[in-house]
Amino acid sequence: MADKQLQLVIVTPERTVFDEPASALRFPLFDGQIGILPGRAPLVGRLGYGELKVTTASGEKSFFIDGGFVQVKGPVVSILTARAIPTADVKRSDAEEALKKASALPGTTEQQASTKAREIERARRLLTLAH
Amino acid sequence: MAKARAIVKRLKAVKNIRKITKTMELIATARFKKAMDRATEAAAYTKKISEIVADLSATNLTFTHPLLKAHETQTNGILLILTSNRGLCGGYNGAVLRPALARQKELKGSLNLSVECSGRRGLAFLKYQQINVTEQFTNFEDKPGYDEVEAIANRYIELYCSGKLDRLDIAYTKFESVSRQRPVVETLLPIGSIGGAAGSTATEKKIDYEFLPSAGEILEEIVPAAFKARLFKCFLDAAVSEQIARRVAMKAATENAGDMIKSLSMQYNRARQSQITSELSEIIGGAAALEA
Repeated sequence: MADKQLQLVIVTPERTVFDEPASALRFPLFDGQIGILPGRAPLVGRLGYGELKVTTASGEKSFFIDGGFVQVKGPVVSILTARAIPTADVKRSDAEEALKKASALPGTTEQQASTKAREIERARRLLTLAH
Repeated sequence: MAKARAIVKRLKAVKNIRKITKTMELIATARFKKAMDRATEAAAYTKKISEIVADLSATNLTFTHPLLKAHETQTNGILLILTSNRGLCGGYNGAVLRPALARQKELKGSLNLSVECSGRRGLAFLKYQQINVTEQFTNFEDKPGYDEVEAIANRYIELYCSGKLDRLDIAYTKFESVSRQRPVVETLLPIGSIGGAAGSTATEKKIDYEFLPSAGEILEEIVPAAFKARLFKCFLDAAVSEQIARRVAMKAATENAGDMIKSLSMQYNRARQSQITSELSEIIGGAAALEA
């Protein structure tokens, strides 16, 4: 099993961002981090916001993923997310603006409050990756 | 000389126009290729979504989502029309607006309908028809961005879930193949089914998935995602179809200009020849008159 590889596919509505073999990956699920190694049992899960770390043959790569879903099926790991930004491209100014915007959202009804909490969470995660 | 001059002038104008339409045809072809690539790349996402939906529905659970449920009383509706920002694309805009207008008339009777429109061409048309446009977008060119579409989709989702919207229709040009695009009016909300082409998976070996959190909760999240992807696809389809329509229109224009150049240069040659003939006969006539 040890020499097996995972095939990581990151798809956004606009395009396929990443489609390469990987030996390990870590990313946030809705309630916390998950790590996936080759030979993982089939899984469908909801993603959270935060950093996706991939270990490939050419080194470690990192993306910011913006919610969505993950499907593990045999050796293929598909990540469906609204946005996948290479961490190097996450700008501090953008993240700060997102946080400001999220904090300014109305939170009077239950639904609005949950949206607001989610947006703030997302912006904070973005901010931790920004530089 | 006057007639020949006039023809030369027209000939030059037509030649210039042919150059322009030829260039526009080439540009439209290049843009179409790009738009097409984007559309095929985007298809991967929709395919994956319906794959997950199929996996989930294999677990035989019943679930409800506010977006899937039709409201009991239908009072508010939105009709979104996707047209182009620029003209010179043949019957593209007219073809979308015709069925859109028919649907608008049909719904206006029973619903409190507001019309939203993307593209300057459609806006101009609706203004002329004196139809009130509540929301207008002119930021979509040949490369609609997901971020922009998502913002629109989020607004619809919020309106629908809060009961302020009972029905969403969208009029756009559906891309079926390179040689076939059809203007359609579709009802996006309430969502009929998110499965789409899920039938083929039945023959596959069933995989026992682990669901995190639960199948039901994932479905709840996937419904809005599927709706957004569907709306995005409408925008992409419209963009691709627009470029095809423009390419076809410009090709026809270039060919027409070519035909016109041919007939004009023939006319010019005739005019020149008859001019020379008449000049010659004048000279000969004059000389004969002097001799006599």
